[in-house]
Amino acid sequence: MTGVARYTALKVGRALFVVWAAFTVTFVLLFVLPADPVDLLFDPAELNAIPPEVKEQVAANYGFNEPVILQYLNRLGHALTGDFGSSVQSGKPVTGAILEVLPSTLVLASAALVLATLIAFGIALAATATRRTWLRDLLESLPSGAVSVPVFLSGILVLQVFSFQLGWFPAFGDQGWRSLVLPLITLAIPVAGPIAQLLVRSFTTEFAAGYVTTGWAKGGTRGGIIVRDVLRNASLPALTIAGVTFGNLIAGSVITETVFARRGLGRMTQTAINTLDVPLVAGIVVLVAATFAVINLIVDLIYPLLDPRLRASLTAGVAP
Amino acid sequence: MSDLRESIERAESGRRKWPWISGAAVLGVLLAAGIGLAVTRGGEDSASAASGEPVRGGTLQFALIDYQRSPDPQWGTNYAESLIGNNITDKLTWQDPDTGEITPWLAESWSYNTDLTAFTFKLRQDVTFSDGTPFDAAAVKANFDQYVHGDQTLGINPNGATLLPGYIETQTPDAYTAVVRFEKPLASFLQASAFTANAQPGFLSLNTLKLSAEQRTDPTKVIGTGPFVYESWEEQVKTVLVRRQGYHWSPPSLRHSGEAYLDRVVFNTIPEASVRTGSLTSGAVDATLDVGTTDEQPLKDQGFAIVSRSVSGTSIFFNLNSQLFPTNDLAVRKAIQLGWDRSAVAKTVLTDSYSIATSVLNTSVQGYADYSGSVLRYDPDQAKALLDQAGWVPGTDGIRVKDGKRLEVKLLGISNLVVNKPAYESVQQDLQKIGIDLQLTVVPIPDYAAQVAKAKTDWNITAANRSRNDPAVLNLSYSPALGNGSFLEQGVSTGVDVAEVTDALGKLETTLDPVQRAAYAKTAQDLLLDKYALVSPIYNPSQVIAHADYVHGIVFDAQSRNHFVDAWKSDAGKSAGR
Repeated sequence: MTGVARYTALKVGRALFVVWAAFTVTFVLLFVLPADPVDLLFDPAELNAIPPEVKEQVAANYGFNEPVILQYLNRLGHALTGDFGSSVQSGKPVTGAILEVLPSTLVLASAALVLATLIAFGIALAATATRRTWLRDLLESLPSGAVSVPVFLSGILVLQVFSFQLGWFPAFGDQGWRSLVLPLITLAIPVAGPIAQLLVRSFTTEFAAGYVTTGWAKGGTRGGIIVRDVLRNASLPALTIAGVTFGNLIAGSVITETVFARRGLGRMTQTAINTLDVPLVAGIVVLVAATFAVINLIVDLIYPLLDPRLRASLTAGVAP
Repeated sequence: MSDLRESIERAESGRRKWPWISGAAVLGVLLAAGIGLAVTRGGEDSASAASGEPVRGGTLQFALIDYQRSPDPQWGTNYAESLIGNNITDKLTWQDPDTGEITPWLAESWSYNTDLTAFTFKLRQDVTFSDGTPFDAAAVKANFDQYVHGDQTLGINPNGATLLPGYIETQTPDAYTAVVRFEKPLASFLQASAFTANAQPGFLSLNTLKLSAEQRTDPTKVIGTGPFVYESWEEQVKTVLVRRQGYHWSPPSLRHSGEAYLDRVVFNTIPEASVRTGSLTSGAVDATLDVGTTDEQPLKDQGFAIVSRSVSGTSIFFNLNSQLFPTNDLAVRKAIQLGWDRSAVAKTVLTDSYSIATSVLNTSVQGYADYSGSVLRYDPDQAKALLDQAGWVPGTDGIRVKDGKRLEVKLLGISNLVVNKPAYESVQQDLQKIGIDLQLTVVPIPDYAAQVAKAKTDWNITAANRSRNDPAVLNLSYSPALGNGSFLEQGVSTGVDVAEVTDALGKLETTLDPVQRAAYAKTAQDLLLDKYALVSPIYNPSQVIAHADYVHGIVFDAQSRNHFVDAWKSDAGKSAGR
């Protein structure tokens, strides 16, 4: 087996393991602990008065009546075919319910990612380009500021100003692009934080490198050197935190979608947990885990393409 | 190296000024935003609040916290689902929200046998579903059968099994007569036939009953007889209802004739409280439910009307566990009832829309009796005396001790109502003064639901409420044979004659004679509140709506759900917001 094939197999295997582990842990947490999932199907105020045959019927409806190990194997088998059962609260198949709201979240998350990247590069470029120390300090403090502001608070603030006071954008619901603007900004700010921080640091490091001095000596302008030489080298590390960024996007979307009353996966997660919709929660967790695994897998597989040193060691047959 | 770089850099000509310009621009935007925030948009010209002759037409934009997860009202278990279900379906009877009396609706009249095991309804003959099929006895039978038994092959749960316990069948002697039969006497069925809360018996067309749970997630296939029909449903975002043409069978006691006034009602889901109120004040919605206690006064000051109705059924109660130490001691239970200051809770926690509980039943429930002058009063001295007599002596930290064990009372509560936690904390402070250590665990519904299954062995108090506008709610909640809210068990619950409680509460299901039923309700409340002190009621929760002054006629029914058949806007052309 060549080094590349081994490397790929190793990474793919790890990704599969992560998804399986997520499925299993979720199953144990939701179906075995801490309460009988059948109890959670009923209004707690009425729980004691539910006739046992009704309980049995409802449990059978969701397959909760079988032995735990059978349920596990059964659900795992179905999950492999993309079937996570039906939502307890709506009767909809879990996969369909998730796919229905996923596009809204994807649009929001990807647009926020683009905006966040622009903001991050803007901050990093400006901080590197400026020669005024106070301005550089100010710009460099922005990333930690962006991470520190709770999405909840910034969301309410932009709503107050741009929706309730100025009336430029709708405060809730889905009305095309106008509904996207405020949530987009709200979500992009905290996501931009870590990226900007990383970029500012690597820009600083790269700016002190020898090739920059060469650039100066060749008569390059400050802006020219930054854009042509430094930018390319300094942006590589940003790829590394793709996983972290994805996590931030998901976490941020729960709150953003709630504050702006948007449809989406984040809001569905929150509701599914609040209403104890066990099959739905399980489906969402596995989906998120799978996405995490795939993103990290892609990053792992792209690395050798970008970094000649890693590529060399792989073709030489040395495990990384 | 840096010297070299500096010198090269200095030589660079045409120093760019853009960082300054962009900095100034950012500052400018921030300033403008700040000013925008500071300037309150006063004097918004509102339409004249001309009540009087109702105006037809227009769209009502309504906001609420929840969203519909299923458009099927028989399935729906949250507030949004029951609220919307009430506007697309009708019930057999209508319960008068003021008197609690059951009045005609889809049933013109009814009778029952002396055993209260068979109820005969004479149906209106002019009612149709919005798909054109007639509403008749066959529809009643098909609905009740599926509502109680569910349908395994369609994935439909037995949603109504708890509302109609012991349901046998519905007989249809003729096309417009339905006889509903039960195994045991079920006086509360009459109220159940008017039930408008969660998992309600709203009638669906036979065409809908044939559909699977999944197919019913298409709202246009969920067909009722109600004053509105589904136009669209965007899960998590909004549900739009349009006026049902030709509707003319709203409950006679509502005194509304013909179709609904509004063309359209839009139920917008807005989870965030500040966004709901902001949307109301900025005019994006006409009315909002789920108004927080702290938002009521500011909205009133801005000219919005606050309307509310106390939730009928039980109050928010502390159910006292009769078999777990130390609440297995009658003296402790009585001391908890007497040991907290009602006026402090009313003053610091509640608004005018809420009230202190004066019985385990809400004042609007038939058979309610007032205990504010007797057991449900604040009397710390009496409470202390009771504890002293029972052998509870104050320990070093002020908390009482008996046989080496501290008087610690563990409470499990739900944080879904904003008022709950501060109200319980007020009680906690007062009980501390008489030597009871009330330990609060007030958690979201999922955590509560997970814990409540273990309440018998783990929790001294479960704090909740139950929404059912009928005195039989006491039987449902407290009968040892049913809900058993205080975990009565002969021999284990010391000093309680369990059979006596079972019998007394069970009698509530055996008569519909108002005088006799009131007497049974009194006996039941005496046992629960006074003789065995199994519950300490706290306060009566409310559903609170804030609406613009041009909105009229939003009805709160006997279960505090809203009906929009009689709602209208003085300026029907005025569309909310944008």
